[in-house]
Amino acid sequence: MSNENMSSGKGRWDHLLREIPTRKVSSEPSPPSPKPKAAAKAPTKPKPFVPSTRQEPLTQMGQVSFAMPEEPKAAEENIYKVSDINRAIKEQLEGQFSHIWVQGEISNFKAHSSGHFYFSLKDEKSQVNAVMFKGYNSRLKFRPESGMEVVVRGKISVYEPRGNYQVFCEHMEPLGAGALQQAFEQLKAKLKSEGLFDEAIKKPLPDHPKQVAVVTSPTGAAIQDILNVMGRRSRRAQVTVIPARVQGEGAAQEIVRGIELANQVKHFDVLIVGRGGGSIEDLWCFNEEIVARAIAASELPVISAIGHEIDFTISDFVSDRRAPTPSAAAEIVAQSETELHERLRFFSKSLRLLIYQKIRDHKQVVNRLTKTMVNPKKLVEDSIMRLEDYRERLQLSVQKSISTLRLKVQSSQGALKNPKDLLAHQNQRLQSLIKLIHLNIKNRIQQKSQALVSQGQMLDTLSPLRTLDRGYAIVKEGESVIQDINSLKGDSIQVQLRDGTLDAKVTGKHPKEKS
Amino acid sequence: MSFEKKLTRLEEIVKNMEGGELSLDDSLKLFEEGIKLSRDCNKELTEAEQKVQKLVGVDANGEPVLEDFQA
Repeated sequence: MSNENMSSGKGRWDHLLREIPTRKVSSEPSPPSPKPKAAAKAPTKPKPFVPSTRQEPLTQMGQVSFAMPEEPKAAEENIYKVSDINRAIKEQLEGQFSHIWVQGEISNFKAHSSGHFYFSLKDEKSQVNAVMFKGYNSRLKFRPESGMEVVVRGKISVYEPRGNYQVFCEHMEPLGAGALQQAFEQLKAKLKSEGLFDEAIKKPLPDHPKQVAVVTSPTGAAIQDILNVMGRRSRRAQVTVIPARVQGEGAAQEIVRGIELANQVKHFDVLIVGRGGGSIEDLWCFNEEIVARAIAASELPVISAIGHEIDFTISDFVSDRRAPTPSAAAEIVAQSETELHERLRFFSKSLRLLIYQKIRDHKQVVNRLTKTMVNPKKLVEDSIMRLEDYRERLQLSVQKSISTLRLKVQSSQGALKNPKDLLAHQNQRLQSLIKLIHLNIKNRIQQKSQALVSQGQMLDTLSPLRTLDRGYAIVKEGESVIQDINSLKGDSIQVQLRDGTLDAKVTGKHPKEKS
Repeated sequence: MSFEKKLTRLEEIVKNMEGGELSLDDSLKLFEEGIKLSRDCNKELTEAEQKVQKLVGVDANGEPVLEDFQA
């Protein structure tokens, strides 16, 4: 303990140290600082201040106390050795403050690796060192931290060799919210931050659980409720109880063991963990970290079923499904069986309906086919009728032809009666034909003569003689008409003009210059 | 066959028959199978006797050690 602490601490006690000897012992020193709740619970009865080194014992109660050594004059018997005064103080303080409650704010909180907690408690004016050993702090439901306003129960402990003192804490409660509430909120926040409440990691419940394990007290109300519901609603699901105490010391460990056991045997489909209603203290084991972690680690889907509908525990947050009560958990498990019943009923009904429908469809087809098989009789009847029709029409038609022919024969017979007339008629036809031939021939002769005249005229225009009339001449050597100067063989030529022929001699040849 | 498998097969049969493209012969065969399955399932759902047990531990083979439970 530092001197500073010592001095600040001293401020609280020195008035006592000073006053006790000077006051009438009958007026008991008041307990340390007023502590409304705690002080009432644990009133401290101060022992008289009796330093062992004193020669004269302190006066007894009721007597007027002696005065402390006067300031300047130090009587020999009043001089303490350091160790004596420390021992005296230790005895005095530890005796007087063996059972106290102290309220203050935690500061400089340190959880040592040994498991002990070291911290200070302070208010607006002072502070005092404090320690809480592992054996005590392990029972805390919450984790102390700096800044937390707490009330501690314990005693003052003096470390004689150094003259230090501190508050030796045996129990601690947070102020404001109750300790349990505080612990609940802390664990909740911690596990939440680890993601243990995430919807994503929650396992789906099996569709049709057959083997249901229940971790609970075998004598509690929860298992009775669960069995009642299951007995009423489900025949298929088998319930196996995994016994565990569900309240008090060691309950959390038994619940954890039960959860682990259920997972160890590969026998179950779903696990219900729970208990009936009770006080928050009764339900507390389901707020223990080890239980929450065991539920989170369970490979079997876990339904939490703790207390009543209004009770929420940490286990409810980490479980895969929260049932408001144990009965409700059983309902959840049995509900899927109700669904099974319904599905099965539906399938059976569908199956029957479908096969009836199929049979009805086929019956209709058969009926249709049967009907068409009766028809041929009718077809034959139809054919007979049609045949009759054809026969009648045929008869009529033949009769009609015969009568037509008969009429023709009759008219022919009529014509054969007058051969003379026929002959005259033929003769007349012959005469007209002859006339027609004559006329024809005459026409053709006329046509031909006309063509001859026009052809003669045409011939005349084309004749070379007509060309000679226009002043041209034809040059011949013998019978050949000379057209090219080179085709001339000799030099005697005849030149034919319009009115006669000239014999001439060629004296020169002048081919036409090519242009 | 497990209960779930039976139920799944039954559902499959109903779906096949709903398709309506089966021959009468095949339909009748499926119907027969389906009726048998639905009887089996129904039996399991209604005739099982609820037996409550207590898990007392695990044997060397990892099998559960069970006792009858009297509540």
